[in-house]
Amino acid sequence: MNNEALKELLYKMADDQLILGHRNSEWTGFGPLLEEDIAFSSMAQDKVGHSLALYTILQELGEQDPDTVAFTRNAEQFHNSLLTELPNGEYDFSLIRHFLYDTAEALRFEMLTQSSFEPLAQLSAKIRGELRYHTMHANTWIKQLGSATTESITRLQKSLEYALPYALGMFEKSPFENALISEGIFAGEQVLEDKWKRKVEEVLAQTQLQLPAWDTITPHLGGRVGKHTEHLQPLLDEMSEVLRIDPTAEW
Amino acid sequence: MDQFGTFEVFVQPKEGKPFQHEGIVHAPNLEMAYVLAKEAFTRRFTCISIFVTETRNVYVSALTDGDEDAYDHVTKVASTSGKETFEIFHLLKRGKQHQHVGKVEAGSHNEALWVASQQLRGNKQVFNIWAIKTSGIRFTKQEDLDLWNTLGEKKFRDAAAYKGGDKLKSFLEKTAQQ
Repeated sequence: MNNEALKELLYKMADDQLILGHRNSEWTGFGPLLEEDIAFSSMAQDKVGHSLALYTILQELGEQDPDTVAFTRNAEQFHNSLLTELPNGEYDFSLIRHFLYDTAEALRFEMLTQSSFEPLAQLSAKIRGELRYHTMHANTWIKQLGSATTESITRLQKSLEYALPYALGMFEKSPFENALISEGIFAGEQVLEDKWKRKVEEVLAQTQLQLPAWDTITPHLGGRVGKHTEHLQPLLDEMSEVLRIDPTAEW
Repeated sequence: MDQFGTFEVFVQPKEGKPFQHEGIVHAPNLEMAYVLAKEAFTRRFTCISIFVTETRNVYVSALTDGDEDAYDHVTKVASTSGKETFEIFHLLKRGKQHQHVGKVEAGSHNEALWVASQQLRGNKQVFNIWAIKTSGIRFTKQEDLDLWNTLGEKKFRDAAAYKGGDKLKSFLEKTAQQ
């Protein structure tokens, strides 16, 4: 099995989960209502948990331990998509990002239940319930606010248009696409992107939100090869603050 | 927040156990209530199913004091046409939750309590009875059942798992010695 290809796939998935998990956790205590605060925080914990599981698989492939990998790399060593590192902004943007990202997340893991790399196939099957909740939560909110009031529809629409180029960046091709596909590890970004577009269309069709034509959107790429926005490094600095103050701290 | 109504949440802890009342969530509608209830009430422990209904759908029997049985206050109601299904819940211990005991066919909430007194009253004393129209409940669908097919007990979601008290104690002891 092509270990380089496998590691590249695992790193980008783990980094996506860690960075968005951290971003979403910034809403803890500030959510629009108590119940939503709890649900959003809980899903953020799920994401960080998934990143740990993926970093643990990486460690078994010879990489450093999960804490070292998570807390001591610089921005250019991260492979998360740009979408996940953008600041939270208002809740409309966070919800749209949650919808666009988690739709892809659930589809990616669903595809990976068929992976020839057994540890990844097992993990994907194990977290299926959590992912199902994430998409159910996202779809329910988008359907609710995407058809509620002029304000909610206008705000979501604006966030959608802002987020879409970044969302397409999630499917930035890996230099190892062919190896991943031919070895049956992962069916590839193109297949995932097509599935994701159909799903996004299906949900948005049930709202008053307008999806721009796909060919009018230019993807914002670079995240997968370590070219990030100015927002990632401050996030990493905050995330690793405790470790830098006291490397022996436990929490 | 005060513009949102409340919804009652019922949880089934395991196969063979009855659904029991766990609490309320605020939400703009039944579907949102279901989604928020799932994480508000079942994120820390494993359960197999939940359902929710608007608080105003819960018909509450007469309140009782001391050893009174709520069914003793239920009077016969003439059977009416246009029957519907009602879910019946019993409060068997004061301060505990209402538990689901079964369903009855009736034309009104009052009739539902009467039919329940004939069909579902057991030997145990019942302090309070709830009747909820089945049609007003958002049940867990077959395809949603794997929502709880997840990573099992999540200790990291309990504050106690972080042993904050122990860490604070050892920290204070350490600083006292310095």
